[in-house]
Amino acid sequence: MITAIAWKNVWRNKTRSLIVIAAVTIGVFAGIFSMAAINSTVVQRIDAAVNEELSHIQVNNKDFRKSTDIQNVISDYQGVVAALESTPGVTKVTGRIIIRGIASTAIKSAGVEITGIDVEKEKEIFTISEKLIPGTGSFFETDTKFNTVFIGEKLAKELNIIRYIITPESIIILTDEGVPTDIISKVGTLQGQRFVSDKKFIKACEKILEPSEMEKYEWKIKEAAWSYREGSKIVLSFLDINNNQTGAAFRVSGIFRTNNDMFESLSLFVPMDELRQLTGMEKGAFHRVIARLENNDITNSVTPVIREKLVDYEVLNWKEIQPDLAMITDFIEQIYGVFMALILAALAFGIVNTMLMSVLERTRELGMLMAIGMNRRKIFIMIMLESIFLSIVGGFAGMAVSEVVITITGKTGINLVKYSEGMEAIGYSAYLFPTIDTQFFITTTILIVLTGILSAIYPARKALKLSPVEALRGE
Amino acid sequence: MAVVEINNVFKTYHDTEVEVKAINGVTLSFEKGDFAVIVGPSGSGKTTLLNLVGGLDQPTGGEILIAGHRLSELRSSELIDFRMDHVGFVFQSYNLIPVLTAAENVGFIMNLQKWPKEKRMARTDELLSSVGLADRHKSRPSQLSGGQQQRVAVARALATHPEFILADEPTANLDSKSAESLLDIMEKLNHEEGMTFIFSTHDTRVMKRAHRVITLEDGKVVSDEIRTE
Ligand SMILES: Nc1ncnc2c1ncn2[C@@H]1O[C@H](COP(=O)(O)OP(=O)(O)OP(=O)(O)O)[C@@H](O)[C@H]1O
Ligand SMILES: [Mg+2]
Repeated sequence: MITAIAWKNVWRNKTRSLIVIAAVTIGVFAGIFSMAAINSTVVQRIDAAVNEELSHIQVNNKDFRKSTDIQNVISDYQGVVAALESTPGVTKVTGRIIIRGIASTAIKSAGVEITGIDVEKEKEIFTISEKLIPGTGSFFETDTKFNTVFIGEKLAKELNIIRYIITPESIIILTDEGVPTDIISKVGTLQGQRFVSDKKFIKACEKILEPSEMEKYEWKIKEAAWSYREGSKIVLSFLDINNNQTGAAFRVSGIFRTNNDMFESLSLFVPMDELRQLTGMEKGAFHRVIARLENNDITNSVTPVIREKLVDYEVLNWKEIQPDLAMITDFIEQIYGVFMALILAALAFGIVNTMLMSVLERTRELGMLMAIGMNRRKIFIMIMLESIFLSIVGGFAGMAVSEVVITITGKTGINLVKYSEGMEAIGYSAYLFPTIDTQFFITTTILIVLTGILSAIYPARKALKLSPVEALRGE
Repeated sequence: MAVVEINNVFKTYHDTEVEVKAINGVTLSFEKGDFAVIVGPSGSGKTTLLNLVGGLDQPTGGEILIAGHRLSELRSSELIDFRMDHVGFVFQSYNLIPVLTAAENVGFIMNLQKWPKEKRMARTDELLSSVGLADRHKSRPSQLSGGQQQRVAVARALATHPEFILADEPTANLDSKSAESLLDIMEKLNHEEGMTFIFSTHDTRVMKRAHRVITLEDGKVVSDEIRTE
């Protein structure tokens, strides 16, 4: 009965209760949603790093990271592979050759890290093969007598392999994308001209378009004008095992696009055998062995097991290779703490305030209740329940709204393309797909309910201090 | 045995510098079936006396016995249950719980005492009929007139068969017609169920209906007349 009365009391002053509930709802939603958004960037970044760049575990010759000398190979490749494969939690293992070198075209050159891979195994462990930009070729599927290389879009642009040309096809693409015809016709005036870089093309566009039009359509126009001649060639030069300068022309098999500009401009992939031939490396020689785990969460527990087995090698996990990734995870937890503290403080403040008002307003009624036989315990429980109902209704409404919005935006994504250059330069996607785990929801729920209970105590104690005589007298 | 015995009771308030002797040596007793009114000028101590008798307040001197129990011997936690079991209260206003219906208000104390539902409902029906509100079970206090609200309060006070009902100026906020009808009901319950009523008033018409009139002045009983028609 007290529960029923408390529930009804909550709705006595509908406006006031709704305002508090709305405030709690908005607070909870804001907290959870921003967490989900921040969380998504990190989850995406970590997934990308693990799936495209690092994998979970890397095993190197002890000296390899200090000096990437071609001689610093893993002496017992078979043994290392066996040790890794026999470790619980490890799913896939592959070896790589890693060589520093220079990539160049007739006009430009750039320092790169050449990774010799086992094409088939690589596809199982990394998703880099899926990052192929459609229309730029394949992941080493073309049959050619040339050496082949798989490079990043950023590097392709730096080497001027990618150009910008407005072709009749570009016009069709722009029309399909719904770009207004007056803008298309302005862009059409650039037809036939060839721009060797991003910057030059943008400059030309800026001359013919208004800044506002640029802001809106620059990205679409760039995409439409993006052009790449299949079968372009680059020259890779590096040192062979005898420290002699060597090199060869490589045909670009395909171009990949990730969210990490650094990785895109630095890393390129070559089938291992081609690299072996050019450098003179032996068949069983590898610089690095890479292992994939069942999931990210077991990294910390599996690493020491492997390290113990492979004492003669350097064993590193993704968190150690890129400490910023591990740091950002911790950082997110701290942000969560601060966010929640703020939300909960606001929640507590709102509830204490509302409930105090409500107790003071009901002084005479509470006095009457005490006079006719409602004991202190019951009064206390009633006021506590009223506060708890307020916080729970608000809390759950907030979580329901968050759940819905996160589910929707988690599917459609939040477009941050406008800021994409800054984001992608540091390896973060321009699209957010907010995600949050159940754990987070449960923790948040518990915290909200706890706060509701704690902030109820003060008003409830205030109610207990009333004496029925004074409560009844007080006009 | 008297329902209420008041032996040489004092209640002094030490407000600011002045000492107010709100009740200044009162000795009274009420018998079962009394229909007694306490009158007196404003500030004479009527409310104070009723609060003492109802166990809402403690005297600074003297002793009060209700159905043979010394109130001073009860701990404050026991006092609440004692009040619930032995005393019915009707106040001048704010009697009802606004979020409950008339029937739920009448059933409130029975509910606190954990009466089984059937029994509670039967008693509620009976009481609402006897205060003439048989058709207003589902009305909220805000949908009832002041007089009707007071009648619901009387019904609630009666519910668990207390020793007596205390009512501090129950008609003060009512027009004379509502006041009359409330008194009719109280009188009827007094007659039919032998319920003891002790109430206070300023209203001379209400005073005339009482069977016993106790007059207070400056915290002292100055007259105590029993009327027999
Ligand atoms: N809590 C208190 N503190 C100080 N003095 C009080 C307190 N309660 C009552 N008094 C004083 O006690 C005296 C009696 O008050 P009481 O309310 O009992 O009078 P009353 O007869 O009920 O008056 P009324 O007819 O106006 O209701 C008054 O002088 C009042 O000022
Ligand atoms: Mg009074």
